[in-house]
Amino acid sequence: MRMKSAAFVVAAGFMLATGSAIAHHSFAAEFDANKTINLKGVVTKIEWMNPHTYFYLDVTGPDGKVVNWGMEMGSPNGLMRAGWTRNTLKVGDEVTVEGSQAKDGTYVGNARAVVLAASGKRLFAGSSQTETPQR
Amino acid sequence: MRNHLRGALLSSMIAILFTAFLGVGAGQPGAQPAAGGRGRGPAGPPQPTPRLPDGTPNLGRVPGEKGVWNVPYITNMGERVVEEDGKTYVEKHPPTGRGRGAPAAARGDAPLGGGEGTTGGGRGGAKSEPQVPFQPWAAAVYDYNSKNQSKYDPEGYCLPPGGPRLMATPYPMEIIQLPEQKRIVMIFEGATHIWREIYMDGRPHPQGDELNPTYLGHSVGRWEGDTLVVDVVGFNEQTWMDYFGHPHTDMLHVVEKFSRPTKNSLAYEATFDDPGAYTRPFTVRWNINWNPTSELTEYICQENNKYLQRLTDDFGQPIFGRKP
Repeated sequence: MRMKSAAFVVAAGFMLATGSAIAHHSFAAEFDANKTINLKGVVTKIEWMNPHTYFYLDVTGPDGKVVNWGMEMGSPNGLMRAGWTRNTLKVGDEVTVEGSQAKDGTYVGNARAVVLAASGKRLFAGSSQTETPQR
Repeated sequence: MRNHLRGALLSSMIAILFTAFLGVGAGQPGAQPAAGGRGRGPAGPPQPTPRLPDGTPNLGRVPGEKGVWNVPYITNMGERVVEEDGKTYVEKHPPTGRGRGAPAAARGDAPLGGGEGTTGGGRGGAKSEPQVPFQPWAAAVYDYNSKNQSKYDPEGYCLPPGGPRLMATPYPMEIIQLPEQKRIVMIFEGATHIWREIYMDGRPHPQGDELNPTYLGHSVGRWEGDTLVVDVVGFNEQTWMDYFGHPHTDMLHVVEKFSRPTKNSLAYEATFDDPGAYTRPFTVRWNINWNPTSELTEYICQENNKYLQRLTDDFGQPIFGRKP
């Protein structure tokens, strides 16, 4: 999934990476498990809010066009139990995010994992409410 | 609906496969601390049931310690129905190969729950199960909910779960016993941050119009030995019994049994009796594990629910959000 010129890949039909169950709402009603995405971009906005944290990133396509994607993650308390804080992700950070795209084809996705370019750290981003982790 | 058994089984197998692969797909090292394996609690022999000074089982914290109940993610009560041999469907058909290398949160581990069938592939149009005694209309509603991937699940609207789904919505929960006041309070971090009160003073349910239908209903409890038995009536019809969308009516009567055979385990059982939607009562059962190191945190579901803003009806029109 490493990509040279950034951009994004919408891969179809790869079920293994379908990832995060959502406790709050139906994953499959909103997102297409078969539309896996792997985006590299720069964070433009973070909504550290319930029931799902959202962050937005500018992704530059192969044609030089910039698209702003919105990515859904778990709730703040769920993410905190998985090791996040509200400052783990900052505006301006370069990140790679893996997830699934919205069924309606808009630039919205459900994030499964986020990799911070600066540290290389890979963070579980899904709704960890699939259970309540220890911590 | 019963001749759809083969399809239902196939769907279940697909769901299990999804679950098995979930850990592979979502897992990464280091995100989760070791959670003590399937037992969840600390290593060593099971600790005995904690008790209050009067000998009653303590269903909550031991003074001086932390701890919450890790409510599991049970998405389909149909898989928890206790059958004639006393076993549930999942006990007879345990999922295998659930991606043991993955972090617990991603794997959805736990002897029970774990988001069955809810991983990316959704429900696959799973049909009403033969072990659930649906009335025809209830089966039709269930199948409709299945076909559209539970998109109209009230929990997605940040509305509360009602009845036993409280014990199947995966956020931490605490039970606080107030024997001097003859009541028990359950606090739910998720499930819209709600509490539930169980009257232990021997009062009956309100009768007639005095019984106002509510999301959580009216709960009265009593101890039968070491088991807390809670009788609940007075539900409104705004909730689903589970994520999979088993419906119910306001005729629903639930009897719940809670016991704590060891410090780290809450045994939960609930009997649904809803002559408005099912042809006979049925019982579901699962365990809830104790998390000795956690505490409740805030979770206000209504804060920024983009799911609602994006939700469309069967004709593709926004239900709550702006027209495109």
